[in-house]
Amino acid sequence: MHLEETKLSRHKPLQGVPPRIKLAVTLAIVTGTVLIERRPSVLYCIPAGILLLLWPFARMPIGYALRRLLMAEFFIVGIALLTLLRPSSAPIFIAVFIKSNLCVLAMLLLSWTTPFHDILGELRRLRLPSVMLTTLALMYRYLPVLLEETRRMQRARASRTFSRHRRLAWHSVSAIVGQLFVRSADRAERIYLAMCARGWK
Amino acid sequence: MAFTLTDLRSCASGVIMHLPDGFLDAKTALLSSGAAVAGVGVALRQMRASLPPRQMPMLGLAAAFVFAAEMLNFPVAGGTSGHLVGGVLTAVLLGPSAAVIVMTCVLMVQCLMFGDGGLLSLGANVFNMGIVSVCGGYFVFRLAKKVMRLDETRGTIFAAAFAGWCGTVLASISCAGQIALSGSAPWGLVFPAMANVHMLIGVGEGLATGLIVLAVLRRRPELVAADRENSGENRVGYAAYGLLLCIGLAVFVGPFACPWPDGLEQVARTLGFEGQAAATGPRAPLADYRVPFAGSAALATAIAGVIGTVAAFIAAWVLARALVPGLGTAKKDAPRGD
Amino acid sequence: MSAAVEIRNLSYTYPGLRQPALAGISFNVASDECVGVLGPNGAGKSTLLLHLNGLLPQAPPRQPSIWIAGQPLTAETLDSIRQRVGLLFQDPDDQLISATVFEDVAFGPRQLGVDGGDLKLWVEECLGMVGLPGFGGRESHRLSHGEKRRVCLAGVLACKPAVLVLDEPTSDMDPRGRREFKGLLQSLPGAKLIATHDLELVVDLCSRILLLDAGRLVAEGPTAELLSNEALMLAHGLEKPHSLLHRHPHAAAR
Repeated sequence: MHLEETKLSRHKPLQGVPPRIKLAVTLAIVTGTVLIERRPSVLYCIPAGILLLLWPFARMPIGYALRRLLMAEFFIVGIALLTLLRPSSAPIFIAVFIKSNLCVLAMLLLSWTTPFHDILGELRRLRLPSVMLTTLALMYRYLPVLLEETRRMQRARASRTFSRHRRLAWHSVSAIVGQLFVRSADRAERIYLAMCARGWK
Repeated sequence: MAFTLTDLRSCASGVIMHLPDGFLDAKTALLSSGAAVAGVGVALRQMRASLPPRQMPMLGLAAAFVFAAEMLNFPVAGGTSGHLVGGVLTAVLLGPSAAVIVMTCVLMVQCLMFGDGGLLSLGANVFNMGIVSVCGGYFVFRLAKKVMRLDETRGTIFAAAFAGWCGTVLASISCAGQIALSGSAPWGLVFPAMANVHMLIGVGEGLATGLIVLAVLRRRPELVAADRENSGENRVGYAAYGLLLCIGLAVFVGPFACPWPDGLEQVARTLGFEGQAAATGPRAPLADYRVPFAGSAALATAIAGVIGTVAAFIAAWVLARALVPGLGTAKKDAPRGD
Repeated sequence: MSAAVEIRNLSYTYPGLRQPALAGISFNVASDECVGVLGPNGAGKSTLLLHLNGLLPQAPPRQPSIWIAGQPLTAETLDSIRQRVGLLFQDPDDQLISATVFEDVAFGPRQLGVDGGDLKLWVEECLGMVGLPGFGGRESHRLSHGEKRRVCLAGVLACKPAVLVLDEPTSDMDPRGRREFKGLLQSLPGAKLIATHDLELVVDLCSRILLLDAGRLVAEGPTAELLSNEALMLAHGLEKPHSLLHRHPHAAAR
C-alpha cells in the first residue's frame, strides 16, 4: 500500500540533494521540535515554517499527507490522552500533539523524497552491521511478494467462506499467517541457493 | 500491482505502543536508545556465532513476513479489528536473537518509510517491542514449557500463547515507565492505563500467537526453532538478555514501582512535615493535586496483573487443550510401521 | 574437444529419504548443443540441475561424477565450476534479490571482482543481450513476470558461463512471452540444458532429449525421434507434442 504511494511521484523530487543531507535535515527538525518546551509556544512556528517551505519542493500531494497524518493521529492522540490524566495539563496535551504531528510530517517528507535504496545506502555509510543491512534490503525487496501471496491466500479462503463467525475468521487468518511463514522459509531456502549459484559466500 | 490503503477503521484497537516523537524527553530517549543498542548488539553477537549462512536470507524474509502479518485483520468487536505485533511469535519461530534483529528491522522500516513511530523514539520502540517483548516473552515461553511438561505440541502452543500475552504486557509496562520518566504523564495513572489496556489487547496477541504457531507446527514442525533444544543460543546470550531486561525495567519502572513513597508522602504531610513538603517548590502543585487513590491505582493494577497472569496461564492451557487433540486419539491414528 | 558437460553414474538421495532422487545417470552435452531434460513431476529434473551448479550435494563428493569442460567437480574446483555453469531458477522472484535491476545483474560480476565503469558496461551489455537495454534503474518489484525472467537471465549471463542450465524457463508465460523468450534463447551461444514441461519449446530449440523418470535416465536420443514415440511418452507421464502429430495443422515437416 504505502510502497505504491511513495513511488507514485515519477518526478523524483529533490533527487539532486544527497540522502545524507535529507536525513540530517530531518533529524535536525525532529530533534529541534522535540527539544522545544512542553507548552504551546511561538517556537513551534520555526519547524512548522521550515516544513511548509520544503513542501513545495518535495511535491508531496496534500491528500496523501493528510491521509498518512490521519492514520498517525490514532497513535498520537491515543498516547497523548495519557497526558490529560493530570489535571490542568491541557497545555501539555496541545504541545505534545503539535510536536508529534510536526515530527510525523517531517518523516513523511523524508520518505517521500528519499527512496529506500538511498536510505539503505546511508545506513551502510553509517556502518550499520551487514546482517541488518542484508535483512533490511531483502525485507524491502520481498515485502510486495509476500503481500501478493497473502492477498491470493485471502482471496482463496474468502471464496470458500460462507459464515461470518469470528472464530472462523481467526482460524482462517492464523492459518494464512502460518502458511505465509512456511512459504517464506521455503523461499528463503531457494534464495540462498540462487545466491550461491551466482557465487555468494 | 495495486495495493489498497488500510482503512482507518482497521487501525483501531491495534497495539498502542509505537511511541511517536514528542512524548519522551531527551534523557529517556537516550537511555532507551542505549538499551536498544545494547540489546541489538547482544543479538548480533549471538547471530555471528550461531547463524549458519544458509539462514541469512531467512532473516530478511522473516522481517517481510512480520510486516505482512501485521497488516492482517483479526476481527475483535463490531467493526474494529486487531493486529498482530509478532515479537513473541518471531521469537518462538526463529529464536530470540534472530527475532530481535527481525523486529528491529521491521520497526526501522516502519519509522523511516511510514512514520509509524518517531525517529528519536525509535530506540524506545525497539527496546519495548524488539527486546522486552521478544526476550521477556521468550523467557516466559521456555519457563512455561518446562514448568508445565505437556507433550510437545500442546506444550509449545500453551507456552507460546501465554508468552504472547506476557510479552505484550511487559512491553506496555516498559513503555509506561518511559512515558512517566519523561514527565509526560504521572506513573500512578499511566501505568494502570497502559497495563490494563494491554492486558486486554494481549489476549488477542497471545491467542493469535498460539494459533499461528499451531498452524506452522501442523505443516512443518522443523521450522519452529524454539522447539529445537539446540537452537543455537548459548547461556551467555541468555544471561546478557536477562541482565539487559532487568536493567531496563529497573531504569524505566523501578523509580515508580514501589507504591510506598506515595504513601509515605501522605503520612509525612499528615504528621506535620508540611514545611519540608512546601520547600520542594515545583512539585507542590502536583502534590496538592495528587489524587488520593493514584498510588493505590498503581497497586491495584499490580494486583490485577498477578490475577491476569494466572488467568492468562489457565486460558492458554485451555486453548492448547482445545486446539491439540488428546494423546488417546493420536495413538489410534498413528501410522503403522513398515 | 571435451564435452561441455559430462556426467558419469551420478546418484543422489536426499538426506532422510529412502528413495534415491537420482540413480546412475550418465550423459554428455557437447558445446553449442541444446539438450532438453524431460520427465514427469518428481522425476529428478530439478535435482539434476542443482547438481550441475554444485549446489547439491551439500558436501562435494571426493569421487567426481560431473565434469564441466573437462574439469571434474570437486571441493577445490567448486567455485570455478559454479561460475562456468549458469543456473536459471524456475521462479524469478527467488533469483531477483536486489531492489533494482542494476544491482541484481551486478551481483555476479561483483563476486568476480568487477567494479566501477567496467561493471556498468558489463551490466548494460547483459541487459542488451536479453532485450532490456536501459532497465538498470528499474525497481525489481515493478517488473512484469516476463521482464523479471529476462533480468534473471541477464544476471546469469553476467557471470559469463560456458553452460546455461534452465529450470522450466517458460512456465507461467503467455504465448507471446514464450515466443520472445524462445527467440532469445536461440540467439545465445554455448551449451544449453533445459528442464521443461513445454514440449513445443523442446521441439523448437533442442536437438537432443534426455528422458528422466523416478531418478533414472530411461531414454536419450534425437528430439523428433523420442517425442514421436507416443508409447514412450505416455509411459513416462508425457505425451506427443501437437506439432508432431501428423493430423495437426501446425505439424512441421521434420
